[in-house]
Amino acid sequence: MVSSQTTTQSPSVQSQSAATMAPNSPVPSAAVPAATDTQPPVPSPSEIDFSCRLPLLVLFLSGAVWLLIASAFALIGSIKFHAPDFLAGTPWLTYGRVRPAFIDSLLYGFCIQAGLGVSLWLLARLGQTRLNRRWAVTAGAAVWNLGLTIGVVGILWGDSSGFAGFEIPRYAIPLMFMGYVMLAFGSVVVFNQRRRRELFVSEWFLLAALFWFPWILSTAALLLDASPVRGVVQAIISWWYSSNLQTVWLGLVGLAAVFYMLPKLLARPLHTRYLALFTFWTLILFGTWTGVPASAPVPAWIPALSTAATVLTLLTIIAVAVSFYQTACDRSADALVRSSDQPAVKAQARTRTSALLSSPERLALWFVTWGVLGFIVAGVMRVLSTLPGLSETLGLTWFTPAQSMLNLYGFFSLVMFGAIYHILPGVIGIQFPSTRRVRAHFWLALSGIALVVLPLAGAGILEGVELQNPARAFVEISSATLPFLRVSTLGDLVIAAGHVLFSWTLAELVLKCYRARAVSAYKTATADLFHPVEVKS
Amino acid sequence: MPEPIQPTPIAETGEPQASQLAMPVWLLVLMFLLLYWGMVYFDQHSGWFNTEVYVPYYSLAEVQEFQPPTGGVDLQRGKALFDNVCALCHNPDGMGKPGQAPPFVGSEWVVGPPSRLIRIPLVGLTGPVSVKGQVFTFAASMPPMGASFSNDDLAAVLSYMRQSWGNKAPPVTSDEVKAVRAQIGNRAQPWTPQELMQIPAK
Ligand code: HEC
Repeated sequence: MVSSQTTTQSPSVQSQSAATMAPNSPVPSAAVPAATDTQPPVPSPSEIDFSCRLPLLVLFLSGAVWLLIASAFALIGSIKFHAPDFLAGTPWLTYGRVRPAFIDSLLYGFCIQAGLGVSLWLLARLGQTRLNRRWAVTAGAAVWNLGLTIGVVGILWGDSSGFAGFEIPRYAIPLMFMGYVMLAFGSVVVFNQRRRRELFVSEWFLLAALFWFPWILSTAALLLDASPVRGVVQAIISWWYSSNLQTVWLGLVGLAAVFYMLPKLLARPLHTRYLALFTFWTLILFGTWTGVPASAPVPAWIPALSTAATVLTLLTIIAVAVSFYQTACDRSADALVRSSDQPAVKAQARTRTSALLSSPERLALWFVTWGVLGFIVAGVMRVLSTLPGLSETLGLTWFTPAQSMLNLYGFFSLVMFGAIYHILPGVIGIQFPSTRRVRAHFWLALSGIALVVLPLAGAGILEGVELQNPARAFVEISSATLPFLRVSTLGDLVIAAGHVLFSWTLAELVLKCYRARAVSAYKTATADLFHPVEVKS
Repeated sequence: MPEPIQPTPIAETGEPQASQLAMPVWLLVLMFLLLYWGMVYFDQHSGWFNTEVYVPYYSLAEVQEFQPPTGGVDLQRGKALFDNVCALCHNPDGMGKPGQAPPFVGSEWVVGPPSRLIRIPLVGLTGPVSVKGQVFTFAASMPPMGASFSNDDLAAVLSYMRQSWGNKAPPVTSDEVKAVRAQIGNRAQPWTPQELMQIPAK
């Protein structure tokens, strides 16, 4: 099965890669050992990259477009805190529709698409396999985007399902489900055909995530849309779904990328396989029970279970922090190399470090590093807001949106940006047109996230403390949070500017790539016309 | 399935590796501590899957504490009725008001035989009356303030009086009130203390 497909596909991939391979391609095609009789040669990294090009470009570009759409909705929603009359006469642009449209565009448009693209690439690279089903995967991306477009338009139309994080109307869900299955199918096939049999830690995370989403989506669709359960059980399902998506799925995919990128960019082994295993199981076992607010009006054992599980996710956070610290900050590995008396080892280490510090890879590393910090802080905030004693104050305030924004932007999106910046040049075969722009994107993203999360968290704490005081009127307290919300509008604006730069870089890379392809195709096609003599001789 | 693969160029050109070092033991210890905490927390806050226990109550016992009693006398209702009706003259702390009404704290009428106590609010009392050895004389006698109460309500008020402000006497039941009402018939004349003393203590 493996050999037949690889052989049928490889000619086209080869020619494609030859046509577009830029001279300054970051991944030189490695010398591939001669094929044995039974086993075709293991594809080189650049061959693998090129085989994923089409679906990755579709996924990342449409992700970027959704990011821009999401930012526009976020801004419209945020401006309403300054001017409540703003667009108030247009029903489809009222806060109750724009806000879910924002969250769903960000979550399903960018996070899941970028996550699936990165998963596909990671599985192909780690498994040393070409992607042989790129049309199935690309079609899956198209179906997913079609479903999501119908869904977001449906939300604006007024058909939101009313469940936070699952507002997509029921008629769009089957399309999205189908699109996801097609996308995931491509990744699973790649995994199944992998040439390197032993698994790297990221592969566990990715494989679990691939199956996790269809499970939770079908459960939610069945119990909320198809044959709705009664009463408060609906709320429980909805909490379960959105925390499994935002805590477990995003956690699995984001950490898979982190555990791959950190050791790769730092050129050090990941610390350690067992910590990663511990992270994996604690995230899956405890993360899946979280999400029910401590004050939920449901039988007490449900929030009690959720609170206990949320506190236990501290283990995941600590494991990631230790792993990150030991991998990134522990200099003992370098010291060992430096003290080595073999000049070759020293020289190698020196070139590695200087290459790292000068290359655009460093920017990818920044994104991933701050993404890990975002993961840690967002995780601690989640624990704080469910902790008995604090949940009464922080629950049902702006603290919760602050936490989820940090998780979506400060953890997942940052890691995805880093991964995409790392992956794209190799996939396209063209270096970044402008590292200055990537750097600007980094700073805009970071300051934007700070400007959104810190004020919202501050507003939440203020709100929570004031609400304990029966002498103060509710309206008074709500309006006291206004200054904070207004600062967060500034943050939304800065984040949007960063997204514009990101999309711009992506679009420019893709344009360059296809222009190069067109030019070379034109040259080959017209070679006979213009240089007949040369060709004949 | 393909055969195990030989080491390949890609593995050498930098797909990341994970070190095989053992994970820190303290993290495992912390895990068991947190798991233990989680169990204790669940034990104390879950109401053990009882579907009647909702936040902010954490056990069935706690919930039941706040339920209105289904049988017996309702002291909370007794207090509410007392504060609304009797306290006008007798003061909410049961100390009475000078020139208006005598005290209930330690009063032999209040903690004494229910058969006499129940009769007072049903048709009233006219003095002078001696309470704890002190003789009180008021311009107006006590009107039949409890005549319109239901048996349950009057039992509740009187039980509250018998068990508050340091008074410690068994509660009055609504059956006792019912029996006394039957004995009184349609008498409208207020009792005198002497008359009440004739009533057997049962
Ligand atoms: C209008 C004022 C007034 C109200 C209201 C009132 N009482 Fe009295 N109560 C009196 C007076 C006056 C006496 C003393 C009789 C006398 O000396 O003429 C008295 C005496 C008593 C006594 C016996 C003396 C003692 O201190 O033990 C009892 C028992 C009593 N009241 C019960 C009640 C109950 C029960 C209520 C409420 C249902 C009530 N009273 C409401 C004015 C009032």
